Amino acid sequence: MKPLAFAARSLRREFRHAELAMLAAALVLAVAALTAVATLANRVERTIVASAAELIGGDLGIAAGRALPPALIEAAQQRGLATTQVADFPSVVFAGEASRLADIRATDAAFPLRGVLAVRDAHGAEQIVHAPAPGSVYAEPAVLAALALKVGDRLQIGGRDLVVEGEITRAPDSANLFRLAPRVLMNLADAESIGLLAAGSRARHRLLVAGDERTVADFSAAIKSTLPAGAEITTVEDAQQNLRGAFERGGSFLRLAALLAALLSGVAIALAAQRFARRKREEVALLRCLGARRGEILLALLLELGLLALPACVLGVLVGLALQQIVFVLAGDLLPGTTPSIPLEPSFAAFAVGAAVLFGFALPPLLRLRDVEPLRVFRRDPDPRAGRFDALYLLPVVVAGALIASGAGDAQLALTLALGFAGVALLTLVLGLILLRFVRSAGARLPAALRFGLANLARRRTLSLLQAGALALSLTAFAVLAVIGPSLLASWRAELPADTPNYFLINLQTGQRTAMQQRLSTLGAQNINVLPLAVGKLVAINGKTPKAEDFADRRAANWINGEVRVSWSVDLPPANRLLQGRWFDPAADKPQLSIDQMWVDMFGMKLGDTMTLRVGERDIDAVVTSIRGVRWDSFRANFFLMLDARTGDALAHSYIASFHLPAATPLASLSRDFPNVSLIDLNQILDRVREIVGRVSRAVVWVLGFSLAAGLLVLLAALAATADERRFEAALLRTLGAHSSQLSAAVLGEFAALGIVAGGIAALGSAAIGTALARRVFHFASYLPPFAALLAVVFAAAVLVALAGWLATRRIARAAPITVLRRG
Amino acid sequence: MDVRAADCCAAAGVAAGDKFVLKTTNNKTRKFFSMSEEIAIEIGNEAIGADKVSKTVDGPDGRLTILEDVSFRVARGDSLAIVGASGSGKTTLLGLLAGLDRPSAGSIVLAGEKLDALDEEARAHLRRRRVGFVFQNFHLLPALNAEENVMLPLELDGRADARERAGDALARVGLAARRHHYPAQLSGGEQQRVALARAFVHAPEILFADEPTGNLDQRTGAVVGDLLFALNREHGTTLVLVTHDANLAARCARRLGLIAGRIADAATA
Repeated sequence: MKPLAFAARSLRREFRHAELAMLAAALVLAVAALTAVATLANRVERTIVASAAELIGGDLGIAAGRALPPALIEAAQQRGLATTQVADFPSVVFAGEASRLADIRATDAAFPLRGVLAVRDAHGAEQIVHAPAPGSVYAEPAVLAALALKVGDRLQIGGRDLVVEGEITRAPDSANLFRLAPRVLMNLADAESIGLLAAGSRARHRLLVAGDERTVADFSAAIKSTLPAGAEITTVEDAQQNLRGAFERGGSFLRLAALLAALLSGVAIALAAQRFARRKREEVALLRCLGARRGEILLALLLELGLLALPACVLGVLVGLALQQIVFVLAGDLLPGTTPSIPLEPSFAAFAVGAAVLFGFALPPLLRLRDVEPLRVFRRDPDPRAGRFDALYLLPVVVAGALIASGAGDAQLALTLALGFAGVALLTLVLGLILLRFVRSAGARLPAALRFGLANLARRRTLSLLQAGALALSLTAFAVLAVIGPSLLASWRAELPADTPNYFLINLQTGQRTAMQQRLSTLGAQNINVLPLAVGKLVAINGKTPKAEDFADRRAANWINGEVRVSWSVDLPPANRLLQGRWFDPAADKPQLSIDQMWVDMFGMKLGDTMTLRVGERDIDAVVTSIRGVRWDSFRANFFLMLDARTGDALAHSYIASFHLPAATPLASLSRDFPNVSLIDLNQILDRVREIVGRVSRAVVWVLGFSLAAGLLVLLAALAATADERRFEAALLRTLGAHSSQLSAAVLGEFAALGIVAGGIAALGSAAIGTALARRVFHFASYLPPFAALLAVVFAAAVLVALAGWLATRRIARAAPITVLRRG
Repeated sequence: MDVRAADCCAAAGVAAGDKFVLKTTNNKTRKFFSMSEEIAIEIGNEAIGADKVSKTVDGPDGRLTILEDVSFRVARGDSLAIVGASGSGKTTLLGLLAGLDRPSAGSIVLAGEKLDALDEEARAHLRRRRVGFVFQNFHLLPALNAEENVMLPLELDGRADARERAGDALARVGLAARRHHYPAQLSGGEQQRVALARAFVHAPEILFADEPTGNLDQRTGAVVGDLLFALNREHGTTLVLVTHDANLAARCARRLGLIAGRIADAATA
């Protein structure tokens, strides 16, 4: 026997029959879903990164306290990257007698490389522009209002007269919350010639580069070792905390959908493989009888599986790539602007996962065929019951676990799903056993046809439980996607309601607080939230001065070298949740500190650690009493560090306010009446986040289609699992004179019962999984599963399963009994 | 024939299964088609030998004896019918003789090989080369068509001419036109003829047939029976047949009756 040739022939011949086609279809579907979703997620992510790039004005930034060496700029240009230089520094701007501290940004003509800089000219017309020409500036409305200027007037920076050529309406990086003052944009050459960038100036220099992804990534990797001291690379991913939060959640949704589709396909594969193996049993016995060796048969089976996996996985990848391209084209607005290339890694990963799913789910029943005795050709003995625990069946559990762990990319998501599905399987087993016992004892009082149907379930106990388990698991996955998914998405959208703060005010002084609150109320502002803010410096952690080089996380350097901002509040602010420890004890007499999880990741801090902060002249040794998870995409004023109110109130501080006003509200008077206060417009970034939510929601809906197909496949596989036996029984009943209506009633009764049990468990399971996902993964403040829709799932499951069962067996009832009986 | 003839065969190095011509002292030539049991044993030319074979199984009501102390010999080219009532142990004996199962006690020689000295893999190898089977319920693989079913033993042996030989074998049983039909598209008689083609396609030395006509009507059964014996003659195969069919049993050279697992009589026709 030549196992490879034999396997190839077997595959070719058996492909005409349902089981192998089902295995192949399930595999194609699993790989297609994984490929499409992973590729789509990757492309969506890169588009989102690209939109974040628009917000900072380039794809990559290199920031330093001094002007960056020309060699670095040349290196970027040699690689074909576009470059622009930016220098930010505070300076007082004069207009006649009036003056105003402004955040000056000096740039060259290429700025911005990404995103849009728009100004309103003297005629009130908005124009898309690049950096101002030498001798001119663009200024934000707050500057013009404070200095009573209009476009065309002159202002003075560093003693030089410059013409205001435009009022900035849109600019990259305009939503930086901790900018000192409103912005004035000037030409880099002017700033240099005035001497504003001379040694000793407080300017922060940045080189922004832009180009195709790979070149940017290569450039970033190449320069890492040659960066001047104090310089650091900022990528767009870590530029915008709130965008990142939004994207992480979006990614979780997509991964969830893909994972469930793959798991569903896994169940379909397992069922098809069971049936395939059952049929193979007779063949293996015959082959053994005809002299094939055990090892040869096993090898041929494995090779057959391999020969099936290879083209099915390739086809799956191709289908997946085609489908994601269709989604990409159809949902054209999903990814406006740049069209990122198709990444290959997700395809390879999906291919590998597909093969793992096939072997993991299909091997156990096939490997058991090695135990088939050749004597089976004479006597069709019932299969020996496995008296011992068969470790082989751990394989699909391990594969499913590994799939969840690797696909989820998030421990909480993985754990929630794994526990949820294990719970559903266990519940099905327990409930199924109870119900089967009930059917056995109470079945006698039921009408004959229904009794026969239900007796079928009880008689095929193991198969019924397997079928119910597969149905319950697939319906759960389906309900999570179809019902829980959209309701989670709705909750996500509800997290950014219409009155989400879209403006921030900073540098509000204690004396101005009440007046400002009144003014905002008059303007019709909603959701006003005012928090104290003190600016200090990180001095020590547990008595030791932190050094940037001691921490792997490069974000740590920002906090060690830069300023830290702290706030305080009596109560835990909204959009914050406690992960560890307790909120402040008002009775405690020592300073207490609450830190965001990011500080745990960055500095390895834990409860009970002491952090020394210097605010003004004072050093505070505060003990970490709680660790918080902050929802950075809530658009409220949030802080990494919060002190207890008693300690905080004693520090020199100003206030920061967030509020919502319709975007078109004129706010010039606010800047004029409170000249020290900076107004920050968050509308642009808020729009971005809403856009991401919208895009991801639409992408998830598309992915749902895969899972729907996978779910149907599982249903078919589950029905097919008993089809052979059912066909024979139906023929026998027909021979004994049963009406087709009696056959239908039996089938409908059996399948409706199966559907109700599986649907009920799925509804419960998906509600539990949904609630856990909302709390543990997506961190929604409140979430209630849509019970009415879940009830509909139970009903739909009963109808669908019964209908599918009826349709599948209708053919059987129509066939002449003799042909079925003859086939045996 | 006497013991000296056996000595001659042994001295001349006549191996089991070889065709040989023996010249007697008066120079008359005699060709051996069938040998008496004793001589076959002495010259190692037996096809099958069972020695005190017993089989017991553990059932729900304790230990059950299916076969007890069964001993007999079958010489090459001979034909033996195992007869007996249902449950007398016929099929169990057939399974043991074919090396599909191991006896609880006793030993079996198949094609000159002692089965208890062989492991399952070696027994499989022996079956592949030298044994053919015909079953009561045909055992054709439903996923394969007639030709592919017949090709199976040749494919297991890695034969390149499998299709060609399968075609010939099907033609021999009169089913050349149905070669691409699936088992479900064939009648019972046709299915058994395909099974006969499969059994003989690799020219086995020994053929085991388990109720080959048991699932067929009388007329079809007779046709299949004729075909079975015709093929047996053509190939010079040793035949062991389990049957209820008295007519079929009568066509065998010898019959072995089983009653409740023990040999009732060992008659040579």
